[in-house]
Amino acid sequence: MTLDPGTLLQILFWGLYAGCIYILLATGVNLIFGVMKTVNFAHGELLMIGAYVTWSLFVLTGVNPYLLLVATVPVLLALGVAVERLAFRPVLGSNKLNEIFLSIGLIYLFQNGAALLWGDDYQSLRSPFEAISVPIADFRLPLDYLIIIGVTVAVLVGLQLLLRRTRLGLALRATSQNRKAAMLSGIDVERMDMLAFGLGAALAGAAGTLWAVSGQVFDPYMGSVPAIKAFAIVILGGLGSIPGAILGGLFYGLAESTATYTLGGAWKDAISFVLLIIVLVIRPTGLFGERGE
Amino acid sequence: MDLERLSPYLPWAGLAVALLVPPLSSGSLYVLTTATIAVVFMIYASAWNFLAASGQGSLGHAAFFGLGAYASALTASNFGLPPVLTVLLGGLFAAGIGLLIGLTCVRLKEWFLAMVTFGFAIIIQTLMVSQFAGISGGWDGTAAPALVPSTVPFAPWVQYYLILAVLVGVLLAFRHLLAGRIGLAFAAIRENEVEARASGIDPVRYKLLAFCISACVAGIAGALEIHQFGYVTPEVFGTDISFWPIIYSISGGLGTLAGPIVGTLAVTLLWEGLRGLELTYARFVLIGLLLVLVVIFLPNGLVSLPRRLREWRRGRGGARE
Repeated sequence: MTLDPGTLLQILFWGLYAGCIYILLATGVNLIFGVMKTVNFAHGELLMIGAYVTWSLFVLTGVNPYLLLVATVPVLLALGVAVERLAFRPVLGSNKLNEIFLSIGLIYLFQNGAALLWGDDYQSLRSPFEAISVPIADFRLPLDYLIIIGVTVAVLVGLQLLLRRTRLGLALRATSQNRKAAMLSGIDVERMDMLAFGLGAALAGAAGTLWAVSGQVFDPYMGSVPAIKAFAIVILGGLGSIPGAILGGLFYGLAESTATYTLGGAWKDAISFVLLIIVLVIRPTGLFGERGE
Repeated sequence: MDLERLSPYLPWAGLAVALLVPPLSSGSLYVLTTATIAVVFMIYASAWNFLAASGQGSLGHAAFFGLGAYASALTASNFGLPPVLTVLLGGLFAAGIGLLIGLTCVRLKEWFLAMVTFGFAIIIQTLMVSQFAGISGGWDGTAAPALVPSTVPFAPWVQYYLILAVLVGVLLAFRHLLAGRIGLAFAAIRENEVEARASGIDPVRYKLLAFCISACVAGIAGALEIHQFGYVTPEVFGTDISFWPIIYSISGGLGTLAGPIVGTLAVTLLWEGLRGLELTYARFVLIGLLLVLVVIFLPNGLVSLPRRLREWRRGRGGARE
């Protein structure tokens, strides 16, 4: 094993690419937590549904799957809003354990609903740019990796603009900072809950599209592993913090690609848990978290 | 009907019905096997519920269920020990791992604990089919000798009664623990950890204790199940196995002794009933829907149904007056 600059650069790009999907997922989890103070454990299932929606649209229309992102995101946004309104709203604030158990029910509903709708075989999608790669330093990076990194950056910038530059974003941030004060200033916090959950689901949907386009296989039960990685990132970055999710995701992606390179592919999934335990032992509030929840 | 006056006799009635299952199964091995597995899951769900009584909700109890199963199967087949003994070894092994996981988890609040335990079972599964495939047999799993050798007359009956005896023992032990100081400490921690600490209760010690006992009993349940099946595969660490005890306990009644029993019985009957309708995924969809509806509309589970009905009737009567 040699660690010349070229290899390091390769590990870096692998890590960036691997981190992207999980960053989107973890950002969604933290956005929802910030506003609603609840964790959606069925978040990985939203990614799975996003992947299937993109796949179905691709089979139906044959359009470039990257463009289908534009169609997948609204579908997941609507699903998220509906889930918040119908399932989370009635139990919100009653008991944290209740909210966790509700997610378990949702996991069953989504996984097996998807199996009913789309069957339980493995599916996959091929990117139109599969064969193209870009030479960087002394290795060739698949074009898809670069597009995925670009799309993630664009989505995150879009989210930041929404949160920082619009009145709606202001209301969302106010609700997440102080719910009662937001209510007193005339913000409809329940609408903010719906919006936050919808946005979180939309981000998971975007992650699902990228998952499918990057050529990874998916089936109705695939959601739990990406969800665990997202949770590891959330714990790394601190619960409820969007910058934390991004930094944690980058860190996680690099850790995963380094572990895969040095220890072998079998550690790819296990590394998230090892990392999680280490962080929890050293710093239970997360690396960038200020206070623990 | 005054259920409250009858309630002291209900456990005895339940036990009597449970004892009568083998003779009433009229030689149908399918019914007896289903009943045996239901009893195993009652033990498992009770273990999960015991942990929940200390305010800790685990989303990955399959880890302990599966580790107990593997430890028992491997010691029984490699060292030729009788499964009746190795089941206990499985429980001890699960308790040991539970202690290790507990040490990292007990300081965590609900969300983080749920995230860590959620990951734990799946990571163990990943390790079992990769790093430890040499010992565990990978995805193919490994064989487990029968709990009661088939040479024993009426082996399925003996097995059922043995497992039922374990359930009764576990329930009596839990009742004893929860009725004493430990139960009070759990309730105090569950309601408000800071106040519990202020009254001189060490939450870390009690939460660790709950973790160990719960992991041990879950491990025993796992071992019992796989010796009844005759083999164990990494599927035992699946999210399904983690979620069943939650579904059973919640639908029955969180934090009550009877809850997991009633819940397992009700959901198993529903599950077997739906089998008759030849539904596949729709069965799971219905179970998921059931859990969501119970959490929203009946958060204290089926055991609270009589009281809820009475309140509802009284409320309606009051409105009319």
